[in-house]
Amino acid sequence: MGVVGESVVRVDAASKADGTLRYTDDLPFDGLYGAVVRSEIAYGKIRAITFDPAFDFSDIVIVDYRDIEGRNANVVLTDDQPFLAEARVRHIGEPILLLAHRSKRRLREAAAHITIDYDAQAPVLSMEESLALKQRLYGEDNVFKAIHTLKGSLPEGRGLFSLEKTYTTPHQEQAYLEPQSMLARYNGGRVKIIGSMQCPFFVEAALEGLAGEKIEVEQAPTGGGFGGKEDYPSLIAGYAYLLCKKAGQDVKIVYEREEDIAYTTKRHPAQLHYRSRFDETGKLHALEVDITIDGGAYVTLSPVVLARCVLHAAGFYDCGYIRVDARAVATNTPPNGAFRGFGAPQVIFGIERHMDDIARTLGLSPAVVRERNLPGAGSLNVSGVPIAEHARLRALFDTACRESGFDALYNAPPPHRGVGMALFMHGAGYTGVGESMLASSVSIALEADDSVEIRVGSVEMGQGTLTALPQIVADVLELPVGMVSCRTPNTAEVADSGPTVASRTVMIVGRLLAEAAGQLKRALGDYDSPDAYREAVAHYRQRGGPLQFGASYEQPAGILWDEDLFYGNGYEAYGLGCYIAEVEVDPVDYRVRVVRFDAYNDVGQVVNPMMAEGQVEGGVAQGIGYALFERLVYETGRVRSPRFSDYTLPMAPDLPKISVRFLGLEGPSLGLGELPMDGPAAAVANALGHALGNAFDALPITPETVEEACR
Amino acid sequence: MQITCTINGKVHRFDCAPESRVLDLVREAGMTSVKAGCGEGECGACSLFVNGRLVNACLLLAPQIQDAEVVTLEGLQEETAAIRESFAEHGAVQCGFCTPGFVLRAYDYLSHGGERSEEAIKAALDGNLCRCTGYRKIVEAIVKVKS
Repeated sequence: MGVVGESVVRVDAASKADGTLRYTDDLPFDGLYGAVVRSEIAYGKIRAITFDPAFDFSDIVIVDYRDIEGRNANVVLTDDQPFLAEARVRHIGEPILLLAHRSKRRLREAAAHITIDYDAQAPVLSMEESLALKQRLYGEDNVFKAIHTLKGSLPEGRGLFSLEKTYTTPHQEQAYLEPQSMLARYNGGRVKIIGSMQCPFFVEAALEGLAGEKIEVEQAPTGGGFGGKEDYPSLIAGYAYLLCKKAGQDVKIVYEREEDIAYTTKRHPAQLHYRSRFDETGKLHALEVDITIDGGAYVTLSPVVLARCVLHAAGFYDCGYIRVDARAVATNTPPNGAFRGFGAPQVIFGIERHMDDIARTLGLSPAVVRERNLPGAGSLNVSGVPIAEHARLRALFDTACRESGFDALYNAPPPHRGVGMALFMHGAGYTGVGESMLASSVSIALEADDSVEIRVGSVEMGQGTLTALPQIVADVLELPVGMVSCRTPNTAEVADSGPTVASRTVMIVGRLLAEAAGQLKRALGDYDSPDAYREAVAHYRQRGGPLQFGASYEQPAGILWDEDLFYGNGYEAYGLGCYIAEVEVDPVDYRVRVVRFDAYNDVGQVVNPMMAEGQVEGGVAQGIGYALFERLVYETGRVRSPRFSDYTLPMAPDLPKISVRFLGLEGPSLGLGELPMDGPAAAVANALGHALGNAFDALPITPETVEEACR
Repeated sequence: MQITCTINGKVHRFDCAPESRVLDLVREAGMTSVKAGCGEGECGACSLFVNGRLVNACLLLAPQIQDAEVVTLEGLQEETAAIRESFAEHGAVQCGFCTPGFVLRAYDYLSHGGERSEEAIKAALDGNLCRCTGYRKIVEAIVKVKS
């Protein structure tokens, strides 16, 4: 039947397009609305909380940290972040009290009659202030996590050119269209959580700590995530849970856009210092990278984001000496977290800008410099193991250069135009031996009507899980895709197949599902049509075998990882990209338009080409937004641009027709979701550098920056 | 205050504060295709027709729909069938939260004789935000709607 590789129409398209699909805020609801009272200062102690005696609070449900029966800690990697502040606040917007009422208006009035007095202290608002220990916020040195790697030995400096440059990348907002939303259902003393999320089992684990008991968590149809609904939903689920438990009624919390932008997690800002030595042909001999990322007020996922920064910092280039020193630091700003690419877009911007700077220094074409540094059979990556993908990378690079006509455009650009490229990789799945720690499991079940149901924790958030996973199972079982479905992820009913992050759904969960489907197929014996399948199932039922089949993750042989030395296979597999952008600069108002964008990808087998193209086009759009549009303004620790009218996202007329190619289709699926977010910003910045003969080292590149560079 | 209007041909009466947003009223009336995306007219997820004009429900206050004829996607299922089919077939739907707004925008555009060129359609979509698709497949879907 071969349904893998076909552009099957997504199963949820019709219900999404006709408006009948129920997202969290659309679910039937007869209860209380919840709201969060937050810190107005960035750093200090809570002195007193005053409830205006002139206001009648008797019908308002009020929760503070003393209402927590379990632990007041949202445990992600460590337990430093409370659900509700006790004595101290560490960022503007930190939750202090929770309120609930049937009327949103009365809820707003109640909030306005609560005064919180603080002993404010001088906050730490930048990475520099943090490292200078303006205040001690975390440990001895304000460093959440530091990673150092060293590969090879420093070459003899004689006759080599050297270059030292700093690149910076800003916060980025996920801007999923559906704001964070959570519903806590009350049923005879028990609470069930339903909401917009990527990782039901993360939420379940967080609530188990908070409540001291297991809470059932169900994912509702989710209107986009991009990482923003990886770790944050645990917090809002906690708020809904606490209010629901205290009120004894259903409680719904839906953020307004401003609240969502101002207080939920963002992409980590990064300062990237690159120092290189290279010869006159452009061949790299040494690369030293110093990385600092801003974690915000609590640890959350910063150590893992940092690991991803380190593993992607040198790209896949061949270089005999690579040293990376990296740290994630604490500041008094809202915690940063997961965003598509998870650390890679920052450093890919660094290394890919640096490759262009090397080319400029030598007066060579950027394509020539990259070509001279392509890895070969013996080349080692940043963590000291051979780059297994070297042949695929070269094939991708050659095709991209040839088909896009890069050289011709580079050598004779039309007026006000420039062309730029980025060549990059993205490790899919958890870093190091993370996947084996997750120990994901999946199950499939034969249903009464002979169809097959997939029971996994992987969620649909727009990327196509509900369609791609059935395609994989149907392919193994040689059935029409309509005979396989996915159950809504509910922690009480499905296997814990790990979080829906890190481009791992098709690569890891899909592979396990193929294994489970293989077991079912072997149990059923031979059949050559859907009718024969039904007969085989009938015989099988008579024999009385199990109706459910499962598989669990086991680390493939030969994966080696030493976390202390940061040595070994940082990832099981890498997707590859070579992206080419052509930009045009308006000589009057300095506006930059991307006029063409070609995305060449090698992600192994593509399960659904139409959905995969959609993923790449959407990722590129976010990457172009990162490059040219998206700017969050912080002022004394507060987001000053918490609206879509201030935080500008690309609209249809702002984007070119993004052209997507997939190469290297043979072999296993390598992970696709994040790759297209990694390369566009560097490609666009490099193209702009080409157009204007200037360097653009900080994102976003707005008309103001362009004007300044042209002066 | 009392507000009376028709929504999808049915009379609705709201007892509401004058500063109530039309967005919230129509959602309370069960029209959940109208989504709250940004609350300030930037994203188009709450698009609906008021007296034949496509508007953002988040920017309208209750008195603005007094005696008006309000039509949401729920009331235009037949008229938008070909558009919705094209969106599905061409991969223009991802997370789906913006999709009802885009479907109404496309319906408004095409029913006013909008040109089937990519550039013209892109320009027409300037008031609708999609964070998933990069817009290409939405534009293609509109170009290829069967008439």
